Amino acid sequence: MKVIKISAIWCGACLITNKVWKQLKEKYSFDALELDYDMDEEEVKKYSPGEVLPVFLFYSDNEELGRLTGEVSFDELEKKYLEVNQ
Amino acid sequence: MKKVLFFLFLLIFPLLTFAKEEDELKLYFFHGKGCPHCAEEKKFLNNIKKKYSNLKVIKYEVWYDDSNAELLEKIKNEMDVKGTGVPVTVIGDTIILGYGSGTSEKIRRAIEYYQKEEYRDAVSEILAGTYEKRDSNIDSFSKMEEKSDKEMTVKIPIFGKVNLKKVSLITAAVVIGFIDGFNPCAMWVLLFLISILIGMKNRRRMWVLGLTFLFTSALVYMLIMLSWIQVAVKITAIIWIRNLIALIALGGGIFNLYQFLKTKDDSGCQIVDDKKRKKIFKKIRKFTSEKSFFLALLGVMGLAVSINLVELACSAGLPLVFTELLALNHVNSFMKFLYTVIYIIFFLIDDLIIFFIAMFTMRVTGISSKYNKYSHFLGGIIMLLVGLLLLFKPEWLMFQFK
Repeated sequence: MKVIKISAIWCGACLITNKVWKQLKEKYSFDALELDYDMDEEEVKKYSPGEVLPVFLFYSDNEELGRLTGEVSFDELEKKYLEVNQ
Repeated sequence: MKKVLFFLFLLIFPLLTFAKEEDELKLYFFHGKGCPHCAEEKKFLNNIKKKYSNLKVIKYEVWYDDSNAELLEKIKNEMDVKGTGVPVTVIGDTIILGYGSGTSEKIRRAIEYYQKEEYRDAVSEILAGTYEKRDSNIDSFSKMEEKSDKEMTVKIPIFGKVNLKKVSLITAAVVIGFIDGFNPCAMWVLLFLISILIGMKNRRRMWVLGLTFLFTSALVYMLIMLSWIQVAVKITAIIWIRNLIALIALGGGIFNLYQFLKTKDDSGCQIVDDKKRKKIFKKIRKFTSEKSFFLALLGVMGLAVSINLVELACSAGLPLVFTELLALNHVNSFMKFLYTVIYIIFFLIDDLIIFFIAMFTMRVTGISSKYNKYSHFLGGIIMLLVGLLLLFKPEWLMFQFK
């Protein structure tokens, strides 16, 4: 399982979700990839992040299983993680 | 089309409600040819005539017409009023000398008063020789105004006598300024700037550049608001302009509530246009890495000015509403400045908190997007409310509820 977080330094909601992202990484074992919307521009484009940040993408075997957008709580993030990880 | 008709209805409805036929109300306007204040009042009277169909404005030129000048002197003698110069306005038993800040509203209030209360045409009586001097040295309208001024003052323990109008305007400055501060329009620039500043090794430079950006932004915002107030004071007496401002406030309110509903279940940051973002980031990097401290300072100041001007359209609603509120209440120049400073201080609070936390912890902190949503919601409600009151009950915005 691979979880990708796309965020930006200028985005308040991205900064707020740093905490829940860290919690998820501590609680579960998965490949975590953090991409910066400006610094990793080319790679970010591949995932078509849309109009709102942050974006959490859940991947398995190069296939997108789901995504969450915006300022999510830990419960929402964990729920999605468990849902796609079944 | 429906929206257009709705806005037209909002524009025309208040004019219709005031257009009921009543007994003729005469307003005597004594003016001098070439007198600038008279010209201003003349414009105002031409406009206000459209609102009150029963209002008849009778003009007397007194600088070139001796008989009119004599008549004015006679009226002033009979009505026991001292003072020279023009313009002089007489309505009912009320005489108003001069035309300055607040006069147009006073004339409007006098018209409203005589529409409802007993109307006595003092000038006609003087001309006919039937005028009987009042028992007291003050006319009934001015008496009512004095009474309502007294009623606006309440005694509060510790604080003593407090003027409710002043307290209401201070409260409005605090509340509207604070809500406006959460507007996310320029927040992304501040966060990016802080992230770059944190990467610097020179702490003094970090503090000075960051604070310069914040205070220059505040100064630009304040100057824009102060210039709007100056314009608003001049144009707010013109009914159609006031209705237009009301419609802008209503439009802003509806847009903000729409934004709130649209993002009610979503949260996060809307991605700023790539081209615009990259251009600004390039500037920030350039200015902050400038070897000359003075050039870096100038660059950051220039950036703050341009950002605030560019983002003005995004955040104009609440400042516009607040400046209109000040214009309607005819506060003096010092108080206008003071209320605007209070507004700006509260507008700046969230930015300062983010900046100080970042400078002390060396980590960038964001504000939850739920506060931006509440800012849209509360800002929308305030704009709608002010827009509706401007159209239907402007006196309530002057804190006159009778």
